Formats: sequence, C-alpha cells, structure tokens
Amino acid sequence: MNDFSVEVHGLTKYFGDYKAVDHVSLAVPTGSIYGVLGPNGAGKTTSLRMTLGIIDPDAGTSRLLGGHKPASVRHRIGYLPEERGLYPGMKAREAIAFMGALRGLDWSEGRRRAATFMTELGLERVIDEKIRKMSKGMAQMIQLIGSIVHAPDLIVLDEPFSGLDPVNQERLEMLVRRERDRGATILFSTHVMAHAERLCDRLAIIARSQRRFEGKVDDARALLPMQVRYIPRDDSDAASIAAILPGGATLRGDAWHFAIGDGDVEPLLARITASRHGVAGLSIARPALHDAFVHIVRQVDAGFDADPATDAIEEAATA
Amino acid sequence: MIPFIKNMLVIARRDFLAIVATPTFLLFLLAPLFMVGMGLAGGMGASKLADSARGAGRIVAVADAADVEALRAADTRLRAGIAREIPVLDVRIAGPANADTLAIATEKGSDTYAVLSGPLAAPRIVEREPDSSAGRYLAMLADDVVRARAAGPLPAPAPRFESLSSGGTSIAIRQSLGFGAVFVIFLLTLLLAGQTVSSLAEEKGNKVIEILAAAVPLESVFLGKLLGFLGVTILFIAFWVVMAIAGGFVAVTQMDPAALSTAGQAGEAATALAAMPATGWPFFLGIGFVYFILSFLLLGAVFLGVGAQAGTVREIQMLSLPITIFQVGMFSLSSAAASAPDSGLARFAQIFPFSSPLAMAARAATDDARSVHLLALGWQAIWVALVIFVSVRLFRAGVLSGGGGWKFWRRTASTATLAAATEQTTDDRR
Repeated sequence: MNDFSVEVHGLTKYFGDYKAVDHVSLAVPTGSIYGVLGPNGAGKTTSLRMTLGIIDPDAGTSRLLGGHKPASVRHRIGYLPEERGLYPGMKAREAIAFMGALRGLDWSEGRRRAATFMTELGLERVIDEKIRKMSKGMAQMIQLIGSIVHAPDLIVLDEPFSGLDPVNQERLEMLVRRERDRGATILFSTHVMAHAERLCDRLAIIARSQRRFEGKVDDARALLPMQVRYIPRDDSDAASIAAILPGGATLRGDAWHFAIGDGDVEPLLARITASRHGVAGLSIARPALHDAFVHIVRQVDAGFDADPATDAIEEAATA
Repeated sequence: MIPFIKNMLVIARRDFLAIVATPTFLLFLLAPLFMVGMGLAGGMGASKLADSARGAGRIVAVADAADVEALRAADTRLRAGIAREIPVLDVRIAGPANADTLAIATEKGSDTYAVLSGPLAAPRIVEREPDSSAGRYLAMLADDVVRARAAGPLPAPAPRFESLSSGGTSIAIRQSLGFGAVFVIFLLTLLLAGQTVSSLAEEKGNKVIEILAAAVPLESVFLGKLLGFLGVTILFIAFWVVMAIAGGFVAVTQMDPAALSTAGQAGEAATALAAMPATGWPFFLGIGFVYFILSFLLLGAVFLGVGAQAGTVREIQMLSLPITIFQVGMFSLSSAAASAPDSGLARFAQIFPFSSPLAMAARAATDDARSVHLLALGWQAIWVALVIFVSVRLFRAGVLSGGGGWKFWRRTASTATLAAATEQTTDDRR
C-alpha cells in the first residue's frame, strides 16, 4: 500500500490525428478530494476514462488503489460518467441495486441501501418510480447513488454538478464530503470553479490536452498577485494618494484597485497609515480560483497562438 | 472466474427481465400462432386445389364392350402396385364408327392426358405430352389384358407378406431424422438468434454502456447479453413445447380411437417414432438441444459483435439481410452434409465452427459414436469464446474509443502513422 489511490503517468490518447490527451499525469492522495479542472474539450473525460481503463491509452499507465491495474479493482471503484444513462424502464431502487450488483454488491443489500440513500437525499417519493418518469436532475441523483452504493474506496465523478439545481448541488457536496469522511478518495472533474474551490483538497488543471497546473487550491490562487481594494477617508487629493500606491492603481468610483506582491503588504499598510488619507475601506485578498483558472487557460491559449512549441507555462506552474 | 460469472449473470438477469416484462414479448411469444394459422389456412386451400385438380385429370380408353371389364380389372390391379398417382381411368365403349380421339382429348371439364382407341393388340394412343407416363400406363393396361386373354385362366399367385422388424431403422430414415434436426435448429436460430444484433443498441442509445464498461469486463457484458437472450429463447421454446404436448393430449382424447388407428397419418407418425436415431432418442433429443444452444451462442455472438459495431438503427437493419444469408448458407452446408454423412463435405461442415452444431446434430442421427459430440461441443465453445473475444477487442478499439464505428482500420492506420511521426520528432530532438 502507498498513500496514493490514483497514480497515472504520461497518459496519451490520439483520436485520429488529434492528440486529445497529451502526457497527463495525476497522483491523488488517498482520502482526499481531488478536482480535475479544465475548459470544455480539454481532455478531462478522456483522461478519466483512461484512468479507469474504460479505454486504452496510446501511451502511459494507470494504477489505482495501491498499484493495481484498473481492471483488477473494479469492485472497489465507483464511477459517474459524463454522459448520464440509465435503463428508462427500471425502477429507481432496481437501477441502484443493478449498478451495485455490477460492482459485486448483493441485490437485496443494494435495494436496502438504495432506499436509505434516496430517503436521505429527499427522493423517497420516487423510490419505486420508473426512471423514464423522472426529471433529468432526479435521474442524475439516482445514478450518483448507484455509483457509490457499494461503498467504493475510489469514487470518480465526471462533471457531477452539471444539470443539478442549487439544492441538489448542495446535497451532492454534502454527499462527497461524507464519502471522504468515510475514507473514500474522490476524483471529480468540473468546469465550475465554485465547487472545486469549496471541495477540493488538491486539483489539476487540464487545458489543450495537457496538465497545466497541479497543487492545492491556494497554490493555484497564489499564481496571481493579491488584489487590493482601498477607499481613502479623505479622497480630495487623488494625485498624492496615487503616489503612495503601487503603479497601475486605478480609481473606480471611490475605490482604488491594484495588485500587490506578497512582500509588499506590510510596507503598503505602513505607507497608508503614515499618510493623511485615512482608511474608509480596505480589502487585501487572493483572487478567486475562477480568476486563477481563467488566467492559466488564457496563458495556454495565448501560448498556442504565439508559439505552439512553448511549454513555459506548464514548467512555471509545476516549478 | 467467479466474479466474471456473477457479472455475467447480473447482465443476463437485467436483459432477460427487460425483454420478458414487456407487452411486446407477448406478441413475440405468440407470433408462431400466426404462422401456424396462416400455414393451416394455406394448407387447406392448397389441398382443396389439389383435390379439384385431381378430379379434373383423367385418361380415357375407348374399347370394345368385351374388353371393358378386363380393362377395369387390370387397372385396379396395376394401380395398387404403382407408387405414383395415376389419373382416373375413364373406360368407354367403342361405337361403330372410329372414335374421334381428338374430340375426346379436348373435351371440356377435365384434363385428358392420354386416349387409347382401336384394338387392344394394336392400340392407338394419343397423348398430351410425348412419351408420357399416362400413355405408357394405357399401353401397359392393353398389354396386360391381351396377355391375360392369351394365357387363359391361371391360378392367382398367393403372396405372403412379412414385415422386416428386426433389421433396425433404415439409413434413409436416419438421414431424414438428421435433416429434420438440422432444419429445426436452423429455423429456431434463424427466428431467434438474429435478435442479438440489436441488443447492444439499447446500451449505446441510453449511454448505459459506459457504466457497464467501467464496472465489469466487456466480455461478461457480451456473454451476459447472449445468455439473457438465450433465456428468453428457452422460455419461448419451452412454452411452445408445452403447448404442443397439451395440444397433442387434447387431440388424442377428442379423437375416436378407431379413427386414430385407421388414419394413415398416425400410422406414419408411429413408424417415424419407432425409427431410432443411431444414438437413441433420449441422447439424440438431448444433444440436439445442446447443439441448438451452441448454434445460438455462436451465431448470436457473431451478430452481437457485428451489431455492436453498427452506429445507427439503419445500419442494424441493413445488417439483417447478410445475417439471414449467412444463416441460410450454414443451413445449406449442413443439410448437404446430413444427406451425405460420410463425405468430405460432411466432415467440413462438422468442423467449420458455424455449421458444426447443425452438422453434428445430424450426425447424432446417423452415427452411434457418442464421445465425438463431447469433442464437438468443446470445439464450438472455444469458438464462442473466440468470437466474443474478438468482438470485444473491436468494440473497445472502434466504438468506445470514440473512433468512427466501422472505420477502426483507418483509425489504427492513422494512429500508426502518428506514432511514427512522434517517434521521428523525438529522434530529431535527440
């Protein structure tokens, strides 16, 4: 045993002439929630499919749950595919038990757990309803329950939040945290930053088929300088205020906006305190994951437009 | 191995229930009823047509009044010994004038095949088709009457008929039993195995295939689907066997025993039942059923594999013709083999995997060796596994990898060139 539930090295996949995934490596620590972020079509789903051995990579290896090949530990994995699908003629309870049975869970135990899960998630009304009568979001929750009903050690969710209303998104986050607390490792992909920011212990950003960033959420946010919003109490002399602020500060309404390096925070505060302008409002904050993500993806795109050969961004991100 | 079988059964159970628990299944189950009904109606019509045609056909002999009785007697005697059907004999007494044979031959109301006239020693026979059997039969009648008259009264021969009960079943009957086995297995697989071609279309349509592919080996998905459909098939057959047996009981209890014993059909059926396949009835029926299962699995696996490659419903529909032709091809091969049990063709049909179940079932009727069937079953099972294995490889490479369905060869080719290109660039970098 080691400390990683997912160890993926150099996964590469061609679709015809197109390199859909290019040397993607992931290492997901056991017991963590790990996000794979990326814009649409970046290669997230293909990477996850190769990780689980559903499709064979053209190059690279995937080892799960302590060095096992994906095929040999299927019963310990739960997977929610991006393209949702259930048999429309099946009842919800049966559908969940069926998915559990595929992973080696006893049918009757599967039915029992299905009822428990559905009751917890406020779906007790439709336990014996057929899938075709349900809304898309409900069916998605059913499928989600089906992919974790056998209490897997590794849960892989591909875009789990898309198509869910805010209440169900909330429930899903609760469910993911609870599974983590149970001891499972969760690997999920998304392009909605809010969920990743709240849930992830670590994350990887994939853009243009390659991994462009790997680390904690805070590491990603640290890629960009802190943003300062400053409102002086006395704003009569704009020129003298601008003089104590770093270059590039802009005045929007009555607030000054500017970026600041990590080491410049205390000197700035000292300068503001020493000045006669006072403080009516001041916030110094890391940019949101959203901004870091957009920043990384834009840089990749710009790199592609300028010089396709450059890998500087990835090196900067992983250094 | 055990998890593999468990997975397979989970898939099979789902498929079986999904098929059986629909109103459409009832239609499927009762479909042969329409076939039987149509067959009965058609058969009745055809036999009526045959009856009316039989009544219409005749041969005519225009003879002296003195010869009429002798001709009738000869006709009765000879007719009994000739296997093929001879048109009704119409005997007329010749008038003083020469009979107008042409007028008789073209009389309305019936088909006249031949007309005999003139003295029996040198008859004139006018026939519709030259050298026809009707003409020759009339000549034979004339010959018989003339000879009998010349020889005078003779004591009638007193033949004693004995039946050959200890000689066993004739080779011809065994061969036709073999052919019957081939035909029944072929008909059932034709009706039922073709259904598997579309069985993966459901999962591809509703995207469940990715759940299945992630959770269990695709081999067990394919085999499970085959087994699920085999279950449906066995249910179907069992239903109709029970119906047939029940129908038979009802018919027997309703029927007058006397009528039963005199009915020629029943007699023939009894002969057929008394006939023994070389391996004996219980073994023959048992092995026939097992061969049906193997035939179903083999052909079903091929169709499943081919159907899995198809992208659209239209493609699946297009596939049904080659599939039917393939099955008919296997049937022709096996039935040729059944009628020539020891030929090289028969050996080929028994070894060629897709005709092997049919040909081996026929062999069970004519050859009393039993151990060879174990060998054949093993051989066929290996081929089922092989077909599944290849289908799964193609499916993974073509469909699951997002390649364009049929064009898996093009995909691999382009991948190969790309791989070569990448290698080139890495070499350049070095």
